[in-house]
Amino acid sequence: MKIVTKYKKIAVFVGVLTLASCAQEDQPKESQLDYNPPVKTELDTWIDTNYLVPYNINAQYKWNQNTVDNTRYLFPPTIDKVKPALEIVKQIWLASYATIGGADFVKKIAPREIVLVGGVNSNSNGTRTLGIAEGGQRITLFEVDNLNTKNRPIVAEFIHTIQHEYIHILNQTKPFDEQAWGKITPSGYTATWHLETTAASRELGFITNYARSNVVEDFAETASIILISTKAEYAAILAGITSAKARADIQRKEAIVVQYFKDTFNMDFYALRDEAEKNTTNVINN
Amino acid sequence: MKIKYIFKYLAIASIAVQLTSCTETEVEQKFDKTPTERLNAQKSELQEVLLTSPDGWKAVYFTDDKQLGGFTHLFKFTADGKVEMASDFNTTSTTKFTSEYDIQLGSTVSLVFTTRNRIHLLSDSSPSASPTTALRGKGYLGDFQFLYYGQENGQLIFKANRTAGDSTSKEIRFVKATAQDWNDISKNFLMIPNVIGSNVFGANRGVEINDGTTKKTYDFNPYTTITRFTSYSNTTSTNGVGIGYSPTGIVISPAIVVGDQKLSEFVYNSVDGSFTATGTNGVSASIKYSNTPFVVTDDYKSFLPGQPQRVLGYIAPNLTTAPTNSVLCKTLIDKINAGLPATQSLARVQIVFNNAVNGTYIQYLFNGGKATITHFVTTKENAANKTIILTDDGWTHNAATIAILKDLDAQITNPDGLYIKKEVFTFNATNRLYTLANASNNGFRITAYQL
Repeated sequence: MKIVTKYKKIAVFVGVLTLASCAQEDQPKESQLDYNPPVKTELDTWIDTNYLVPYNINAQYKWNQNTVDNTRYLFPPTIDKVKPALEIVKQIWLASYATIGGADFVKKIAPREIVLVGGVNSNSNGTRTLGIAEGGQRITLFEVDNLNTKNRPIVAEFIHTIQHEYIHILNQTKPFDEQAWGKITPSGYTATWHLETTAASRELGFITNYARSNVVEDFAETASIILISTKAEYAAILAGITSAKARADIQRKEAIVVQYFKDTFNMDFYALRDEAEKNTTNVINN
Repeated sequence: MKIKYIFKYLAIASIAVQLTSCTETEVEQKFDKTPTERLNAQKSELQEVLLTSPDGWKAVYFTDDKQLGGFTHLFKFTADGKVEMASDFNTTSTTKFTSEYDIQLGSTVSLVFTTRNRIHLLSDSSPSASPTTALRGKGYLGDFQFLYYGQENGQLIFKANRTAGDSTSKEIRFVKATAQDWNDISKNFLMIPNVIGSNVFGANRGVEINDGTTKKTYDFNPYTTITRFTSYSNTTSTNGVGIGYSPTGIVISPAIVVGDQKLSEFVYNSVDGSFTATGTNGVSASIKYSNTPFVVTDDYKSFLPGQPQRVLGYIAPNLTTAPTNSVLCKTLIDKINAGLPATQSLARVQIVFNNAVNGTYIQYLFNGGKATITHFVTTKENAANKTIILTDDGWTHNAATIAILKDLDAQITNPDGLYIKKEVFTFNATNRLYTLANASNNGFRITAYQL
């Protein structure tokens, strides 16, 4: 046979073998995964209407081991406590920021997830963690089951937690000047803040004892205390401080907060405070 | 090389490569189905079986049987993702409450109680909710995500998610509940006083394990209601036992193992205050009372002549309510106090053994200004019976003064002597506890601190 024909035949032979031997693949059939959407209860629909659709926030209350710390003994909220808690969050936080910062403010800078935990998150030093803000993406709120909407101190504490955690979210997205802040009261920070009183801490230029934990917490506490106090209440706090230097230090910190909101978000912090106060009064009186 | 040979070898080489590159890549399948199919099958199996029991399911949940007891839970699942629950955690948890559940994929298919209900009471870490200081911040170590391990004899087998990686963690079994279980759940609390017990039934409480031919006995130590836990012990071992309640008795974990039988369900007998679990072939275990000690130890030897000084003291009010004081002991002490003026009472019954100057003596100390009365004794051993015998060797006061103490003293100085036993538990103080019992087994037993 001629060489070329011979090799043509070999080539065809090889080609056929290749195609035949590698042709055994199974084609994928229909998926075995369950794509049925889960059944939505009335509460779930309410959450969709009030959180997911308007703000793109996923409010979770059903236990999911992947969103919580499994080394702690926590439990999910009682179903009936979920809507009151989320209503408070919506009215005092979402509505205030939307009014002052614009309807899209919260859509852009907000945690994408709010996780509600019913139980107490106890720490080994005897303190309780009331809330966690993570990576600018998720706020976890604890002790939801202890929320009693008729009890003013409990509601005020819950609101304080929300405002405090959201300040962290804002900072995690757009940082503030930690250096400048740290220069105001450099010596008062301590890891054992829980052994100090708030009154003594105010005399050192810190709005609460927890503010002494570190600069980031100091910022969040200063901002959130101002946001949850009326103008008169805050003035009274300042007036109650005997040390003039401490009072001046707190006011310098207050100024940094106000400047931060103006420069970063073009928001009038005091207008935000007034709006939050109005909404808080609505919640507590109803 | 000539071109045609190059081509030939190239052709052969390429054929060889093609053939080898299409070697078998199929792995041998261990199962008939793919992992996804098997997971889906297990998920639907669990979802279906949860709905098959008309009165729901019952589980006695022991969260950690090395330190806590069992809590009975009743569940009624419905297809819409809701579950109705009741438990005997406390008197309010026996009322039904509804919450949600879900079948989620964890490390395996798992049953998750996604919103709060009775089961979550066991994982409350608020400071007031922990049963002991060691468990502060951990509640009762409870879990509410349960990994599904299949079924056996109509029972559902689960393991708690939190401890599933621990090879010693126990299964949680769901058994089919009956309508009576739901009605009777609060009857569990009626069993609590029976578990706490009372020594009207006898001076000693112990466990007797019968393997069909021989009996082994242990002391049954005082029960702590808040942890639902106690222990039984002898001279060589102490065994913890968690207790759960039922309308007719108790359920324990870990079970008492006799040969290849596991005894865990005990029935209460109100006549003699005992709990008994019966197996097959004459095997049984019983928690019961007797005036005869269940465990006799060599602890008395520390108080014999030649030993260094040691002091044991019954102190009121610290030890007044100790469960190991027998009824006879309480009666005698009450009689002494009744015979004293209102401002005075018996404060201590203290035995000083082997004092360098005065030997061994019993001291009766009083509140309210009454002088201490001392009774000197000599001591000797009865090695066969493992007792120490205290014999009269004179009093510090005259017959009239000591008359009020005579009956109590007669127990301590009785001719058969005393069993002295070191106890594994403490009561109202950290001091080591000893119990002293009249070796004639008449039911006298008194508790003392080592001072």
